[in-house]
Amino acid sequence: MEVFLPIAEVFVSPIEILLLSALVGVLSGLFGVGGGFLMTPFLIFLGVPPAYAVANEANNILATSVSGSTTHWLKNTLDYKMGFMIVIGGSIGTALGIYTFTYFKGIGKIDTVISLAYMYILAIIGTLMLVESLGEIDKAKKNVVERKKLHVHYWIHGLPFRMRFPKSKLYESIFTPILIGLAVGFIAAIMGIGGAFILVPAMIYIIKMPTRLVPGTSLFVTIFVSVIVTFLHSFNYGSIDLMLVVMLVVGSIFGVQVGQKLGEKIDSSGLKVLLAILLLVVGIAIAYDTFFAEEIQKEIFRVSSADLNFFSKFIQEFSKDMPFFYGLFSIMFAVLLGIGAAFIRRFLSNLRKKYFIKPTK
Amino acid sequence: MSLSNIKILNKITNKKNTFIKTGIFSAIAACWGVILLGTFITFK
Repeated sequence: MEVFLPIAEVFVSPIEILLLSALVGVLSGLFGVGGGFLMTPFLIFLGVPPAYAVANEANNILATSVSGSTTHWLKNTLDYKMGFMIVIGGSIGTALGIYTFTYFKGIGKIDTVISLAYMYILAIIGTLMLVESLGEIDKAKKNVVERKKLHVHYWIHGLPFRMRFPKSKLYESIFTPILIGLAVGFIAAIMGIGGAFILVPAMIYIIKMPTRLVPGTSLFVTIFVSVIVTFLHSFNYGSIDLMLVVMLVVGSIFGVQVGQKLGEKIDSSGLKVLLAILLLVVGIAIAYDTFFAEEIQKEIFRVSSADLNFFSKFIQEFSKDMPFFYGLFSIMFAVLLGIGAAFIRRFLSNLRKKYFIKPTK
Repeated sequence: MSLSNIKILNKITNKKNTFIKTGIFSAIAACWGVILLGTFITFK
């Protein structure tokens, strides 16, 4: 069974998209990484044009990060002040990213740029993860205890305009989080990812935030970055397809919950090698697809609006006639789904504690 | 178990580890080879 996406104008199998987004959700819940850098290539392999895959994945990331961030807000593990500083840089970076996106779209090279960016990023992350996990295995075998310096200072720590961040107990220049946000926003706008794979290590090793505040604050930043990316893509190019977003959000929210539960039960450090190999394989697949696969003239589906069902017709007209409100609607839709998922999870968790877990005497 | 047997087992384990590591590093090299070669050919 296939459905027609009214904005991306391609036929996709909803079961494939639901299964893949659930699988990526499980991986992101298990390893604590965002699923954007896996889901966008998967969407491209399923036939969604890269420019549409990027925009719709950004909207999906918005829903999952709202869901995760609400959970951290309920646990009070968020540093808002630091988060807002990163968001300032993130907003500038996103605007620059969209400007670059527009430039490459204008000269007709955007699909190549997205593919190139993905294959390099996946290859770099995959290689780093693989080398790190092999090193960890070696160290564990040899029982080596590594001595590390308590604080390593880089040039970034000597920047002016220092400010206190009471929650993280830090006295840091405001430029450090702003510069990190700038890089994250730029990459998010071009690649349709949350940027957690840059943000999380940067928060731990460069800003030196307490580890318990990092995941919540990273998700908090991702919300703002993906709101801007979603809105700008929707307003500038009308590329958000609500039909695709619904499938992505449902699959990934379900997958993330399963992944987090699995993560509590199994040790995922050994599985990191598998994730690294998966990233490298996806990187090679994109490289093959971009460089060596024969140019296949993709069938262009022309479906007249009379053939569309009511829902598809509504989405197409809403996107065309009112792009501003369509963008706002896409954002609100993702935010509400995310908050709803977080509260349902808390409700189910409380219910389980009340009725299924016997209190210890 | 005699000392010579332990030595042989250690040697086998070390060989296995070296084999796995070589495999993984060749995979990484192959991945980067495909990507860099493709980029070079495309932009040339």
